[in-house]
Amino acid sequence: MANYYVKAVPPADLNRNTEWFMYPGVWTTYILILFFSWLIVLSIFGCSPGMAWTIVNLSHFLVTYHFFHWKKGTPFAEDQGIYNGLTWWEQMDNGKQLTRNRKFLTVVPVVLYLIASHTTDYQHPMLFLNTVAVLVLVIAKFPNMHKVRIFGINADK
Amino acid sequence: MIAIPYLTALTTYFSYGLLFAFGQIRDFFRKFVDWCSSSNNLQGYAPICLGLEDFYTRRLYLRIQDCFGRPIASAPDAWFDVVERYSNDNNKTLKRTSNISRCLNLGSYNYLGFAAADEFCTPRAIESLKKFSPSTCSSRVDGGTTVLHNELEECVAKFVGKPAAIVFGMGYVTNSAILPVLMGKGSLIISDSLNHNSIVNGARGSGATIRVFQHNTPSHLEEVLREQIAGGQPRTHRPWKKIMVIVEGIYSMEGELCKLPEIIAICKKYKAYTYLDEAHSIGAVGKTGRGVCELLGVDTADVDVMMGTFTKSFGSCGGYIAGSKELIQYLKYTCPAHLYATSISPPCAQQIISSIKVVLGEDGTNRGAQKLARIRENSNFFRSELIKMGFEVLGDNDSPVMPIMLYNPAKIPAFSRECLRQNVAVVTVAFPATPLLLARARICISASHTKEDLIKALEVISKVGDLVGIKYFPTEPEKQQQDERMKLE
Repeated sequence: MANYYVKAVPPADLNRNTEWFMYPGVWTTYILILFFSWLIVLSIFGCSPGMAWTIVNLSHFLVTYHFFHWKKGTPFAEDQGIYNGLTWWEQMDNGKQLTRNRKFLTVVPVVLYLIASHTTDYQHPMLFLNTVAVLVLVIAKFPNMHKVRIFGINADK
Repeated sequence: MIAIPYLTALTTYFSYGLLFAFGQIRDFFRKFVDWCSSSNNLQGYAPICLGLEDFYTRRLYLRIQDCFGRPIASAPDAWFDVVERYSNDNNKTLKRTSNISRCLNLGSYNYLGFAAADEFCTPRAIESLKKFSPSTCSSRVDGGTTVLHNELEECVAKFVGKPAAIVFGMGYVTNSAILPVLMGKGSLIISDSLNHNSIVNGARGSGATIRVFQHNTPSHLEEVLREQIAGGQPRTHRPWKKIMVIVEGIYSMEGELCKLPEIIAICKKYKAYTYLDEAHSIGAVGKTGRGVCELLGVDTADVDVMMGTFTKSFGSCGGYIAGSKELIQYLKYTCPAHLYATSISPPCAQQIISSIKVVLGEDGTNRGAQKLARIRENSNFFRSELIKMGFEVLGDNDSPVMPIMLYNPAKIPAFSRECLRQNVAVVTVAFPATPLLLARARICISASHTKEDLIKALEVISKVGDLVGIKYFPTEPEKQQQDERMKLE
């Protein structure tokens, strides 16, 4: 494993905030973080595996919704605020829709939902919460929702 | 081509994720604490930073602030004095002490060794300081053109190999003030994805449409050119007024040379103008120091605008643009840096003229040729030794810029501080100057480094590299080769 090298080709994307997602190893890191957080939740709470997957799914929903679809702009001032009206999801891949990265990020909440609902045997109230989480996340990632602010929530002042 | 070990990529993402998460948690508590102790005498004022903007500076950069911006107390020669600093509040503020430590300088762009006192250049610079005073106190068009300025422009034009040149007081300004003059609305700028911030700023300020092509990939440049020429201006699809391709001679963060002959061939085929930024390559590469064009065998008449700076190889300050007589005449009428900015300081101009004379051998000695040979030998020796030790070093042969890849964010301060403790001063670069994954320590070799200096540097870097764990490639097995030879006998 230590001798397995990957080529890091710098992509032609000027936005330093989203460019890091185009390098090799991101998908694996994302999946590994989800798996290890499930293990940690299991060991801290001592609950059933299904409950742990539900907790992971819901916290994944909160974290990714906040950072991908709520926070706008970039965490550094170098680009002089040209992305200040765009969320991270809208800045990804320069606004091009349906790229490989976007498809991957849309599939992950769905897979998490399937695992969580299967391991909890489709019981309420976990099923309801998981369904709400996956619906909100997947709808937020539709191409038609690019730059749409429903009822003016989170719009620019 | 940068080859990362897969495990390192995973751990780097994880480290940045952890740093980001900790930063967010601290921000959340800061907001909570501020909301509780609400001292609202700033009611009604708009916030200076919009939420996220200074997150990187506050939560990541300030933690390792002591690795950047170290003050020095002497001229940046091969060995220099670094002022020691300490901090009482975990690196939020740093205080200078009066102690200095003498360190080996691997960070200054002192390619030909003109940074310290030179036997030919310094007396002449002091003379011109006494004759012309430190500043001309005026812009070029008012009262700021002395005989030195005219001599300097002729000297630079002759050195670079173009009919005429114009000189400015600052290197960054040369790019950011010239591009808006040359290109405007309705023009197209195609720039390499790793171009310097001055070019990006100048391009953004010009109002032209900007497209980026993959770093140093002539095939992608051709693809972008074809797509843009066929498509025309956005929305109206009218043909572009002019197209300019901007590349650099040596990329300062990679140490790579530009693939100039292929790019020039493509630009000529599609009738686009070329702009070559030789900030790091002028005076440092090429048989007589004339830059990438000489090194790669490109005729200077094929490059339309050649830009460079005097800070790197000539030990001075300022930048120049060299081109045809009509181009320079036009720039003299329109460029704001020429019309309104103070002209280059006379002792600096004299330093440039003297250093160019030394490089060309016109001072009567062959020190210039010696310096050029020495920097080439030093760079090749250092690079091959580092690669033999197992470091991942970027850049082409003959290039005096050598980035050593670090990757993990924690290795950046570890490498920097440990090297400083052993009296070797290196410059480390991280996000956002480089891509997130690819943090590096950048070494600049100078002609004033002696062989002993380089060997000491190699020892220290090897020891620190073992401690920090950045020898990502296997070391060259010398013993194995010897064993094979014994077996044959």
